[in-house]
Amino acid sequence: MLKKIFVLFLLTVTGVALWQSFRHAPFGENRVGDVENPETVSAFYLKHSPETLHTANSVTAIVVNFRGFDTLGEVTVLFLAATGLASILYRRKEDEEEEGGHLPVRVKLKSSTLVRTGAKILFPLILLLGIYVFVHGHLTPGGGFQGGAIIATGFLLMFITYKRFNVNHKIMVWLESLSGLAFVLIGLYGLVAYGSFLQNIPWTGRLNDLISGGLIPLIYIFIGIKVATELTNVLDTLMNTKPRKK
Amino acid sequence: MNSFQEVFIRYRELMEIAVYGVAILLIFIGLYAVLTKKHLVKVVIGLSIMDAGVNLLFVGVGYITNHTAPIFSPGYEDAADKMVDPVPQALVLTAIVIGFAVTALALSLVIRLYRHHKTANIEQLNSLRW
Amino acid sequence: MVISPVHYIVAPLAAAFFIPLLNKLYDDAARVVPGIVLGYLVVVSAVLVPQVLYNGPITEIIAGWRPPFGINLVMTPFSAILALLVSFMAFVIWLYGFRFRRTLKGGVVMYYEILQMMMTAGALGIILTGDLFNMFVFVEIAGITAISLSAFYRDRDGAEAGFKYMLLGSLASVFLLLGILLLYTQTHSLNMAQIAERMPAVAQGVKIIALIFLLVSLGIEAEMFPLNSWAPDAYSQAPSPTSAAFAAVLGVAAVYALARVSYTLFDAQSVSMFLMVMGFLTMFFAETAAIAQTDLKRMLAYSSMGQMGLVMVALGIGNETALFGALFLIINHAVIKALLFMTGSYFIYNNNSKRLVALNGIHKRLPYVSFLFSLGALAIIGFPPFSGFWSKFYILSGAAKRELLPLIIGILAITIVEMTYYLRVIGRIYFGKEETEPASHKPSINALVAMTSLAVIIVVLGLYPGLISGYLHKASMFLLDKQAYIQNVLSVK
Repeated sequence: MLKKIFVLFLLTVTGVALWQSFRHAPFGENRVGDVENPETVSAFYLKHSPETLHTANSVTAIVVNFRGFDTLGEVTVLFLAATGLASILYRRKEDEEEEGGHLPVRVKLKSSTLVRTGAKILFPLILLLGIYVFVHGHLTPGGGFQGGAIIATGFLLMFITYKRFNVNHKIMVWLESLSGLAFVLIGLYGLVAYGSFLQNIPWTGRLNDLISGGLIPLIYIFIGIKVATELTNVLDTLMNTKPRKK
Repeated sequence: MNSFQEVFIRYRELMEIAVYGVAILLIFIGLYAVLTKKHLVKVVIGLSIMDAGVNLLFVGVGYITNHTAPIFSPGYEDAADKMVDPVPQALVLTAIVIGFAVTALALSLVIRLYRHHKTANIEQLNSLRW
Repeated sequence: MVISPVHYIVAPLAAAFFIPLLNKLYDDAARVVPGIVLGYLVVVSAVLVPQVLYNGPITEIIAGWRPPFGINLVMTPFSAILALLVSFMAFVIWLYGFRFRRTLKGGVVMYYEILQMMMTAGALGIILTGDLFNMFVFVEIAGITAISLSAFYRDRDGAEAGFKYMLLGSLASVFLLLGILLLYTQTHSLNMAQIAERMPAVAQGVKIIALIFLLVSLGIEAEMFPLNSWAPDAYSQAPSPTSAAFAAVLGVAAVYALARVSYTLFDAQSVSMFLMVMGFLTMFFAETAAIAQTDLKRMLAYSSMGQMGLVMVALGIGNETALFGALFLIINHAVIKALLFMTGSYFIYNNNSKRLVALNGIHKRLPYVSFLFSLGALAIIGFPPFSGFWSKFYILSGAAKRELLPLIIGILAITIVEMTYYLRVIGRIYFGKEETEPASHKPSINALVAMTSLAVIIVVLGLYPGLISGYLHKASMFLLDKQAYIQNVLSVK
């Protein structure tokens, strides 16, 4: 009880401190400034995204190009989380016997016909939506991460509906590693050819074309594939409790 | 200041309270769950809520009144000075993914702990004493 | 291709993505590749660090956009020396852990090697980056690898240690994000140099709140009191090379972040008292807790926490001598603690027990390892002629220059406490009543090379501190000079 009161007190103090500090950052205030003569980073990005990079979605331009290094770190975080997950949940034959093998394998009940049919119809549509989202990341809201998550949701649907639905683990690992490597190699190409890591190629096409923005859509496609395979792997590891036969 | 302007100013204050307040409230709830709950899964859920609150706060900070999404679709190529701040949105993209990764890792630890101890109650887990 | 700071991050990353593929073809690839990568990083350091020390800081831009509009990596003398330290220690730890779990084939070893290598990459990212949000991303990378590695072993306690670390680590990330957000709203930038430049214009209230958030967050990572309860568990449950890495790699990055935020983003004066007080409290509680330990690894973990506290005190004292001492201490702590964990783990491996009482008379079975352990213990207490003496000496001189007599007395008192529990262990090793089982696990050649090289460094630095004092001097001068950092970064291109 005492602990709860102490925690509540601490949290109220933190909350009030946070609230007060936002007095200095009123909601809706224009902190971007003049776009033509940029003084803030945001104005700079808003100016150069259509002019230099010819990318319609400026958030994509920031994520993939201006602050591409952060995205590299983020992709790494996902990769490491998947690796860590696999290492924590790794089961050897001895563990299985020691725990009596009484843990459930995915879903026990057989799904109804309605769900099974619906899932079969929806799955390719979901995949298509996901691919559309990450291919058009530089033109419409969305991008690699969003598209990848959508595709993983499709796989989750299949995992839940069908007891025996399995993804080929080998293909997933290959796709994951290759897309990650592709991202790094594209960055290295920028380093070797233009002098700084992840620098974009000079030709960036026309604004709002499908092929515009130079390397941006290409990078996002690789990120999309990587995220999709990685999330599916994570789901597979979490849901599957049988030891994997290599 | 006519009544229409008064209503507008009141509306803006309300919006400010709504977005910032809800975000801070979410952080509050999440932190409370992480610090006081006994069941491991509740703690992880609290973590998730906390992340959601922080991300909401980020996006709220980026908003500019009456401005629109920072996408230069056909017809909006010159609307650069009517656009919302794109930087917090990019940061939130990264933060959401990282939050997801940590949550997944946390859940795997919970599964491991449950397998060994057959309980998910944090008080019964304290085998690592002083 | 010209060698540049970005290699520090890209090389491990490319290797990490490549290893799962390689492992399908050649089973032991996962053990060998990190060694190649980390060895390469040592070479990179050998090329870049002299450049930085003689020609001045290197700022490298990423993606072709000059700072503050793009992300940049900065190698000042301070960060360059630490980057060299981290890459070298990571290489030595890899060498030591080469035959780790020889019997376990396949999947698990691959995970271990990837995670260990990426922890180093995360630490290097924290040290080298010039962008605040980028630092957050690398803190997360380091955190995730550390959590997974703490929970690596089968037994139940590993997962608990990992979970505790995960909880505190997430608190740290949330506070870090909040601090970054507050700074962003006021300065409209994420670049450290630009934030430092615009800081005087920020309102005092917001500055204080943002500072508190950042210090709490980085303090959790740097094992500051009272948020360091994750540390004893994580250090003791992790595999031994990982425990060594926690001290030598992660700890270095965490205090670097603390130093960079305090000295470059904010004013050193405002944090001085806070760092000194919290650092001293950390030292006090950690070292006194160490006396009560019955488990070797936990004892070493508490000792680590104490040393980190001392670094914080030195950062708080703030004058050039103290900073010199702090940097020296960071180097010493990394080298000595790694040696202690490496030798300690051979004790544990042989006894099949982590308890201190099992160490009785072990010098008969493992004479060389016992010798190295004792060398490390004496070094960390601060006995001349080992390197640990100089770091304590300079920190105390720095305190004397600021006339902080109570602090000096406190540090000396705690040194006496350290002597108690370390000399007690050495006593057990050499004079305890032993069990007469022959040693079954003598250290292999790679471990011997690793441990001996660390011991050599300890002795050499102790006898000839002048070898590095010039460089450390430069580094501490640079840390104090905020304007130089700002100028250097913002004038690129």
